[in-house]
Amino acid sequence: MNHILSEYESIVGSTSIRQLRHLGDRLSGIRLVHVNSTREGGGVAEILGWMVPLMQDLGLEASWEVITGTPDFYRVTKSIHNGLQGTPVQLSSRDWALVRDVNAAWAEQHRDTLKEADVVIIHDPQPSMLIDFSRNGRSKWIWRAHIDISHPYRAVWKNLQNIVEKYDASIFSLNAFAQHLPHPQYLIPPSIDPLSEKNCEQPRSEIRKLCRQFDLDCSRPILLQVSRFDRFKDPVGVIKAYRIVRKVAPVQLILAGGGASDDPEGNAVYQEVLEASQGDDDIHVLLLPPDAHRTINGLQRLADIVIQKSTKEGFGLTVTEAMWKGKPVIGGDTGGIRLQVVDYRTGFLVSSPEGAAHRIRFLLDHRRRLNRMGDIAQEFVRENFLLTRHLREYLTLVCALTRTGTDRILYI
Amino acid sequence: MSDFVVIDCTLLTRMSGLPPAFNLRELRDRIATCSENVLYHHFCETPLRATFDDPEYRNDFAVWARNDLADKILAEKLGIIDPYEIESMADLRRQVIDIIEDRMSELSPWVPAVRPGLEFFFMEALTVAFETGVRVSRPADMADAVRAMTNGSIFFHYLEALKRPPIHKDDFTAWFTECGPAAEPYVKAIAGMDVYFKNLPAIRDSLYRALNAVKEAEH
Repeated sequence: MNHILSEYESIVGSTSIRQLRHLGDRLSGIRLVHVNSTREGGGVAEILGWMVPLMQDLGLEASWEVITGTPDFYRVTKSIHNGLQGTPVQLSSRDWALVRDVNAAWAEQHRDTLKEADVVIIHDPQPSMLIDFSRNGRSKWIWRAHIDISHPYRAVWKNLQNIVEKYDASIFSLNAFAQHLPHPQYLIPPSIDPLSEKNCEQPRSEIRKLCRQFDLDCSRPILLQVSRFDRFKDPVGVIKAYRIVRKVAPVQLILAGGGASDDPEGNAVYQEVLEASQGDDDIHVLLLPPDAHRTINGLQRLADIVIQKSTKEGFGLTVTEAMWKGKPVIGGDTGGIRLQVVDYRTGFLVSSPEGAAHRIRFLLDHRRRLNRMGDIAQEFVRENFLLTRHLREYLTLVCALTRTGTDRILYI
Repeated sequence: MSDFVVIDCTLLTRMSGLPPAFNLRELRDRIATCSENVLYHHFCETPLRATFDDPEYRNDFAVWARNDLADKILAEKLGIIDPYEIESMADLRRQVIDIIEDRMSELSPWVPAVRPGLEFFFMEALTVAFETGVRVSRPADMADAVRAMTNGSIFFHYLEALKRPPIHKDDFTAWFTECGPAAEPYVKAIAGMDVYFKNLPAIRDSLYRALNAVKEAEH
């Protein structure tokens, strides 16, 4: 569902909206094209789903195009994606040629859109080779990496680097993800949409219904981890932490995730989790469909403490989502979780199940502090990690790239 | 007297191109050679950056020393540096390097280091500034104007201004001074504020309360 900017005013305040409008006024009429590889599913499509309408609302001629290809194209680009995240994958020159051919054919079909654009933002590696076929002399091309490429498989990055180097700038979510490139590398962290199904306010009745649906006892504390069934999310470690706490407090644990059925390793982890939770009715392992956004939202609101005990993580938007619902987070000391979870302020960083158990007990024993930390967490998200900040940084980047100036301050 | 033109600004952070520092020696070496923009960013632009923390120290080097290097003494020495009190960025650089070298000498031959993942990344930022269309004509109207300002405007007029000519003078003080003797109480009200530990919303709040108190006293 598309929202317009004014709908966010009651959440972020009129000054933030006014600031976006001022920036928008300076960019009115700029033709900006986003290109990614899927219209639905995944974080990138979610971001573009709200960003493009809001850019249009601000007066930019923004559009969103999706590159399409053969099943082989998706197979190869999936391997590139995995390689960038560090998995050793074998890609032949034929594979790279296939990606190039698909990019060339698609560029031909969309020649006018791309050639007329002032700014082209290419998301992730799939459409990255379009720059070779569609660039005009005056347009600015930006490559946006949404994934963690801090430790890429070198053979894959070497190939992609040759392409990315041709761009005018690139954007990474965290400084740790950036690479050596000959152009400016900007840092724009991701954000959440407070009006989306996953984050919007929900009536109490809808949240209470979840208690009945999942057989939860709302009078006892609830611990929650929302994540794929993936070893890096350490769901078994969460169960271990829960068992330590359970000896002294009547807690319940929800492990909610999805996507295991089509992922062989995910399915194996799911089975391990089921096995580890066997015989304990207070552990609820929920395999949810990909569109269960309102359920996730409600579970996060229902929980007393949210856990994200990952051992490896990108930015960790589930942490941001939990904080937006006023929950302190006990998170693994890794990746973007380290930026979000600050000891004694927005939650606790932990490195073991024992550490997680210790912090859970502490928070359950200090209810006022738990609530206060949740309030602080929510305000940090409101101030810095909602889509309005994300949009503002994109607009600032477009201002920077479409105007000349080398000083630290650019007056527009 | 000309109107006070309210400017807003937004910050775009980018990598500086310097390799990250994994230990105190590397930190010292990078600070010695980094551009002034890098130094300025880590000392002065932190309030405008998206963050989940409101750290006890206002510059990134002190925060890194405290949180990642676990060197409380170094953090305290770096944390108390007020970049706005120092005449030039060259002086600021010298002072920071002195502190780090003193600490290295105290700890020698040990060089404190961090594990991968906790390294210090050197960044810089581009500030995009633009007029908001808001103008203030009378000193008495400034309190309400301040209350409606974005964090960007507060940063630009109150902190960023200290590094622009006239150096060490924020835009509010400069304008009130230009307004003549009648606006002197406003100058005094701002001069009495200590905002060192405040984030931008708190600075806005302090400014509003100080200016509003003068306005109420006038009426």
